[in-house]
Amino acid sequence: MLELLLIIPAVTALICLLLKDRRQVEWASSIGSLALLALSTYTSYEVVTSGAKDEGMLYMDGLSAFMLMLVAIVSLATSLYSIGYMGRELDEGRFEASRFRYYYALLHGFIMTMVLVCLSDNLGIMWIAIEATTLASAFLVSFYNNENSLEAAWKYVIICSVGITLALLGTILLYASSIQQVGEAGGSLEWSSLLGMADQLDPTLLRISFILVLVGYGTKVGLAPMHTWLPDAHSQAPTPISALLSGVLLNCAMYAILRYHMISSAALGPGFSGGLLVLFGIFSMAIAAAFIILSRDFKRLLAYSSIEHMGVIALGFGIGGSLGIIGSLLQMINHALTKSALFFGAGQVYARVKTRTMEEIKGLSKTMPITSALWFAAFLAIVGCPPFGIFVSELVILMAGLQAGELLAVSIYLILLAIIFAAMLLHASRMIFGEPTKVVEKREGDIAVVMMLVVLLAGVLILGLYLPQGLNDMLEGIAHLFPGGGA
Amino acid sequence: MAEINLNLINGLAAMVLLAAFILVATGRLRTMVRVFAWQSLALGLLAAAVAYSTGYWHIYVVAALTIVLKALIIPRIIDQIMDRIQVANDVEPSVRTPSSLLIAGGMAILAYYVAEPLIQSGETITAGALALSLAVVLIGLFIMISRKKAITQVIGLLVMENGLFMAALSLSYGMPLIVELGVFFDIMVAVLIMGVFVFRINRTFETLDTSFLRRLKD
Amino acid sequence: MADYLLALVQTAVLLALAPLLTGIIRKLKAWMQSRRGPPIFQPYLDLAKLMRKGSVVSQDASWLTSLTPYVCLASMVVAALLVPAFVTESFGFLGDLIVLVYLFAMARFFMALAALDAGSTFGGMGSSREMLVSSLIEPAILLSFFTVALLTGTTSLVSVTSLLATSGASLIGPALLLAFAAFFIAILAENARIPIDNPSTHLELTMIHEAMLLEYSGKDLALMEYSSMVKLTLFITIAWSAFLPWGVATQVTAPDLALGVIIFLVKLLALALVIAIIESSMAKLRLFRLPNLLTGAFILAFLAVMSYFVL
Repeated sequence: MLELLLIIPAVTALICLLLKDRRQVEWASSIGSLALLALSTYTSYEVVTSGAKDEGMLYMDGLSAFMLMLVAIVSLATSLYSIGYMGRELDEGRFEASRFRYYYALLHGFIMTMVLVCLSDNLGIMWIAIEATTLASAFLVSFYNNENSLEAAWKYVIICSVGITLALLGTILLYASSIQQVGEAGGSLEWSSLLGMADQLDPTLLRISFILVLVGYGTKVGLAPMHTWLPDAHSQAPTPISALLSGVLLNCAMYAILRYHMISSAALGPGFSGGLLVLFGIFSMAIAAAFIILSRDFKRLLAYSSIEHMGVIALGFGIGGSLGIIGSLLQMINHALTKSALFFGAGQVYARVKTRTMEEIKGLSKTMPITSALWFAAFLAIVGCPPFGIFVSELVILMAGLQAGELLAVSIYLILLAIIFAAMLLHASRMIFGEPTKVVEKREGDIAVVMMLVVLLAGVLILGLYLPQGLNDMLEGIAHLFPGGGA
Repeated sequence: MAEINLNLINGLAAMVLLAAFILVATGRLRTMVRVFAWQSLALGLLAAAVAYSTGYWHIYVVAALTIVLKALIIPRIIDQIMDRIQVANDVEPSVRTPSSLLIAGGMAILAYYVAEPLIQSGETITAGALALSLAVVLIGLFIMISRKKAITQVIGLLVMENGLFMAALSLSYGMPLIVELGVFFDIMVAVLIMGVFVFRINRTFETLDTSFLRRLKD
Repeated sequence: MADYLLALVQTAVLLALAPLLTGIIRKLKAWMQSRRGPPIFQPYLDLAKLMRKGSVVSQDASWLTSLTPYVCLASMVVAALLVPAFVTESFGFLGDLIVLVYLFAMARFFMALAALDAGSTFGGMGSSREMLVSSLIEPAILLSFFTVALLTGTTSLVSVTSLLATSGASLIGPALLLAFAAFFIAILAENARIPIDNPSTHLELTMIHEAMLLEYSGKDLALMEYSSMVKLTLFITIAWSAFLPWGVATQVTAPDLALGVIIFLVKLLALALVIAIIESSMAKLRLFRLPNLLTGAFILAFLAVMSYFVL
């Protein structure tokens, strides 16, 4: 049953590779994403109501279901947006027609690897899946094959591979710690069993293992100081891919860290791993704040904003407790939706003004009123303006921090949030308000894209105003999975 | 007999580390690939020796894979890439050889200090090789950082993987077979993908010197 | 008492064989270069010739120049007293491995100073280059000695030799082999062999050791040349005795002694052959590349020590 979730995107990728006609490929892609979303919803519902599913190598509990839904929703949005965006890029000759189906095939292959990350029970398979996401997305990042995208893709592959290698060492150490205590036959990489025997694991090995995993997978999450590949890769990739990378891939890597965090908390108490997460979270926010102020390219700006939000999420999980965990989970959803909206809008803007340098862009409200209004709303959402959802999730994390007594972390958190608030809105308003520098005709972007932006922003808005009971229960269930998260 | 086996294992582990140092010291790309192949061969033989003394047959499979993939196929692939690009044989280090060697020595000491508490608690026969394998991982990382050519970065990554494999052997006799197979597959695909990128970089930038990859900045 | 007599005989043999070893190396090199080469006893004749001639000393030289040949000779003779060659007996109470290193250092120190003494530029150049080489290679020598000291628990060369010789194969391991490799590079470095230095060149660009000897003539030159030959013999002997001493006579019985002598001669010839091969097949390294090789030797020795602790 769970394998179907992997088979659907795999088959979609294969079909896209074999078809020749552009329309057919686009249809195949859309149907595949819809099917994935449908099946994910069904299985997640089952898991939330009847409990975790353990099918050998594949395992799905509340947290996996949550991540899976996130992957499915954003993938659907991305594949739909790709139709319009890549279609236009093809018409303008930015790449050869023969590579069109490679894009969709790689896209769905990439989606499959992310689903595999969410469903793995065996930590070794999870590692393989994460390495596979890097490899699958490498060609997507370098899709335009020019100097900049090659540089970005090379940095991406090399830095992430180094990080993941360190994470593999951490995985090996964890495996060794399970053998030390339990003996040869008891050694296991199955997450569910490891959680069960957490108190028997060797503490020294476990500590070193977690540090390595945090640094290693943290590279893929984009935590500073391992983040250097992120602005390049996310800004050079085609816009729909940037949305997928920022919204989902970073979260998947975070998910991997969380699995280790859970084991570490069960064995050593939440203080050790939580403290490290808080540290990296704050540091990432600080670095992101600095670069957001200095940004000149709007896609890089959005990439640094992703780093900042992953820092917030790490902070929330690090603080822990039921509030912290729920706050971070909400932040994951809100960030994914908002960042996708921002990237989609950015794609529209770029299509119109043909430049990514923010200094050169002015007066978008005169050139594309509705789209720029929605884009500005998305900016408001991402910096944490009420009534949008990010305000709520950041507030929850703030409350968690106060409750846990982490006053220093909380104060730095607030200061950085304020700085980023100011900087991003400054950049955004410079681009949107004022008089256009060049004479560009007044025309909206694609209607389809406008609709998508409305849907995404509406989602974030709803989450900011009201938390559905079903979602609330699901989140609380997940929080209980974390040792020490039941409070 | 067991004594000779232990000496053999330790000797092979020392050879893997020695190969890592030679990789740091050498100034020619072709030599680096050659030495990497020898290192992988020593590693495969080490795995075979471990398999022989513990009797776990799945380690034989992994040993065979190591020798075939890392000592034969991957060096072949890298050589072919270098032939196609007609790259100059010169390794362009940003840190000169004597300093590189001393830094590598420092990393070996660091690895020893990190591994010491782990060695004490080790029960496998190869527990002593853990410090050496951590040293190889660190040296691989150093090779990646301190050499400018793109191909040397790939080789550095492969050396790190070798060190990891040795660490896995020394801590827990390797990982479950399916995980090992998956890891090998990943490495193969990674090398192929990186090969494609190296080729494209050379075609676009006319050089493999990664210090030219500086266009994306804030 | 008999032990010391035996040690004395051993030292005498070493001192007597030194020029022969040099002659053999030259002959081997010549053969590999398709020449006939000088006869193997030629060095003896050369030394005898030099002893008959008078020395010419520069006007600006001081007492140091006259003293140095005797200091060098003395330190080599004392070192020869300390080294066991074919039997595990020597005047070991005089000093151990560390003292050996310092004896050689003393000889080198005086040689370098004396080269500066004459005031010629060649001498100064030779001295500075020699100091570069030795400052890089001495840590390697010390570390490889430390390795054997750690392995056997003692720094007395006689004890090291007998312990290694009687312990069978149990002490052979990466540590010992790496230390031997490092020390072999040290043999080449300390004795001015290719690829570090060319022992038969007098070109200013390439000389290190020869530059320091340039000002000597007659008897002084004979003593300096002889000291170098003894130094080479001693280094090769130490290489075998301290690292791979199997075959040495651990008991003072006739068959053991006979075997010990034969094996010792074979070992001398073996390393002489290796040195000759290396000298014929490699070119001398350019000076700025020397740190690469010498640091490599240091790393080998360092790895040897690390192998001891880790494995």
